[in-house]
Amino acid sequence: MLNHDSLFDAMSGISDDYLASAADLLGDTKEDNLMHFDSSRNQAGARKAGRILLIAAVLVCLFTVTAFAAGLFSISTRVPDAKETFQIHWDDSENGYLEWSDAKLVLTFPAVAESREIEFRPGWLPFDLPKELPGSAPWNGIDKDTWFRRFASESLCWSENEGKYPEEYRKIDQPILIEAYSMAQFHDGGAMLMLYQTPENVTEEHWDEPGVDVLSFHGKQHFEERDIPEMDLHIDAYDLEYDYALLSNAEQGWIIEVCGQLGMDTVRRVAENLEIRETGNTLTQADFQNKYLFIDGGVG
Amino acid sequence: MDDEAILNLYRLRQTAALTETEAKYGRLCFCVADRILNSREDAEECVNDTWLHAWNAIPPEKPKLFSAWLSRVTRNLALSRLRETHAAKRGGSEVDLVLDELAECIPGGTDPQRVLEANELAEAVNRFLATLKPLERDAFVARYFYAASLAELSARTGWTVGKTKTVLRRARLKLQTYLKEEGLC
Repeated sequence: MLNHDSLFDAMSGISDDYLASAADLLGDTKEDNLMHFDSSRNQAGARKAGRILLIAAVLVCLFTVTAFAAGLFSISTRVPDAKETFQIHWDDSENGYLEWSDAKLVLTFPAVAESREIEFRPGWLPFDLPKELPGSAPWNGIDKDTWFRRFASESLCWSENEGKYPEEYRKIDQPILIEAYSMAQFHDGGAMLMLYQTPENVTEEHWDEPGVDVLSFHGKQHFEERDIPEMDLHIDAYDLEYDYALLSNAEQGWIIEVCGQLGMDTVRRVAENLEIRETGNTLTQADFQNKYLFIDGGVG
Repeated sequence: MDDEAILNLYRLRQTAALTETEAKYGRLCFCVADRILNSREDAEECVNDTWLHAWNAIPPEKPKLFSAWLSRVTRNLALSRLRETHAAKRGGSEVDLVLDELAECIPGGTDPQRVLEANELAEAVNRFLATLKPLERDAFVARYFYAASLAELSARTGWTVGKTKTVLRRARLKLQTYLKEEGLC
């Protein structure tokens, strides 16, 4: 029933511009008079949060031998030498690029000059979809009829939508992420890079029905216990584990990444049930700023 | 440091992202949490939860306006905490006063069949806010999103407390009328 609670909750959908303007009015965004929190309380809160983070990271681990297959497959993989550097476009640096070494995996694709832009919608997900909310609210829901180029489910598993998801998902930060990419972005020697996670159990397949090559693997990264003294913040050691399925269509020049923390069976089922359609647009490398993408870094 | 530079630190998994976020938005997030929770200790823990949530969420999240994104995260964490700790009792906090005021906009006895989706209501609130003058809109959002007290609003707007109450009351009446016209209550 609509009541004052639902109206108060709906205030969370107020647009970003209105929120920022009101925060300015209140003076909350001024950098003077910064808060310096009490150390003991902060430590306790951080440790609690650190435990939550640890719980989120503890998932089923697959201990299998890495096996890279070779052959006529539209995704090529190689493990680079630890000293091999990649010059990544980076506005914040003096040179305009960032030199990155110690990448864990390099994925390259056929050098197509043009990619057909595609979008997708999930035909199956391991949870029901809440209806879409407006604006850029972090708990934005989705509609079953919505087509995407990027679908991130992590924000649906907390806060306003908590009750709509199985209990076991609520502490998982990214249950499922689906994102469409274009091979044209990598036209002149670019690649998708795994920066942090070590791939395990790499398998190659061809799925006849959607006509795609599929590369799947398990990614794992260990974070050491650490302190951030400036904030008196402590983060416990933890392992972050993801499963990935990369769908590649060389003829049309698109790639779809499906990844998440719900296990490979779930990731594969989501990938197998994707509906894919062309938008009618074509993309070339000029449409992209960078010839590299980071699978596990979120930038590119 | 500008927001894009801070977000890039998150993307490269540099812990400096957290210290920069705290330096720039620690006050904002603390104020959001403290107004709702009315407890310094709870607010501090809530803000720490916000930092950890940001660390987990970015990437892949790509906030368009970082301050607003952090405000929402903090507000939701604070409300969740408030509901956990005050499930059975109400009274005394700024949020309780805000809820009482908002009750005017949506009279009791709503037909159970007229259950609204939250998105419809949020869209309506945004459309309503667009009809207000900028300062009235800021005051409304400050009161009903950030749970700012009347005294704080008065100091910030330069209005007397009486005028602040009047402006907010008029805005609530306008919202009530607007929601009725939209068929939402």
